Amino acid sequence: MVQIKNWGLVRIDDRLIHGQVIAVWFRYKRFDRIVIVDDGIAADPFMVEVLRLAAPPGLEVEAHSLQESIGLLNEINDPQYLMILMKSPFTAKRLYEAGITYNALNIGGIGMGPGRKNVFKNSALSKEEYQVLKDLQQEGVKITFLSVPGEKSKEFEEIRI
Amino acid sequence: MINIVVVSHGNLAAELIKSAEMIAGESQGVYFATLHPGDTPESFEEKIDTTMAKIEGQKTLILIDLFSGTPYNITAKQLLKDNVECITGANLPMLIEAMISREDADLSELAESISQVGINSVKNLKPMLRKR
Repeated sequence: MVQIKNWGLVRIDDRLIHGQVIAVWFRYKRFDRIVIVDDGIAADPFMVEVLRLAAPPGLEVEAHSLQESIGLLNEINDPQYLMILMKSPFTAKRLYEAGITYNALNIGGIGMGPGRKNVFKNSALSKEEYQVLKDLQQEGVKITFLSVPGEKSKEFEEIRI
Repeated sequence: MINIVVVSHGNLAAELIKSAEMIAGESQGVYFATLHPGDTPESFEEKIDTTMAKIEGQKTLILIDLFSGTPYNITAKQLLKDNVECITGANLPMLIEAMISREDADLSELAESISQVGINSVKNLKPMLRKR
């Protein structure tokens, strides 16, 4: 039995780092590092610079491809101040299947798009994305829709699509 | 003439332009792009691209509402083009000043002077008035 690591936060937000949102999380929880798992961002050094520039002081921001992230996150032994951030439920599932397991998954925001239906506040899901989250839930992951602490939240099992 | 594009969360950008026109008069070459609930970064990027396509290659000063956030994250990419400058913290004094001082201005000098207008526009009045 592989021990599930105690990540600071595993979060899906297609806006990635939104300074004000991160600032509110900071009032509730300490973070010193955000690892963005996204092939597109990882391949775009200018975008990484843009995200890093607007991050609060003392917070390290890095972006890695899915493959790189798996290797990197595997090596981390003390992850309580680390936030894993990605845009899509598919990435969350691929990480999980590759052995980067987690107990809880936070969904901060997924915008509307073709085939997606709004499920809670600023989050929308397609049928495929819903199914992927359902699979993770059946693995025992607690999935919560919450933009920032203090706001209204919703558990995955309460949503309908 | 330098174009101005204001980008924001919600309708702020459109309204900021209307408010600025009350003071600086109606003006040409002022555009906006706004992010609304339900927008994705991609759908917002399409709005920016559509606006920028109208003024392709021309000198453009972009005023962004917040330093950080989706308008910032997405709009900053415009800096990869020539003849584009971006400033965050867009407010009414900055937009008015940009509208009235952009004729014959050098773009990067304008960006610097408008940033200073923004910085100098914030005053905590009570301590200032108590001195008198």
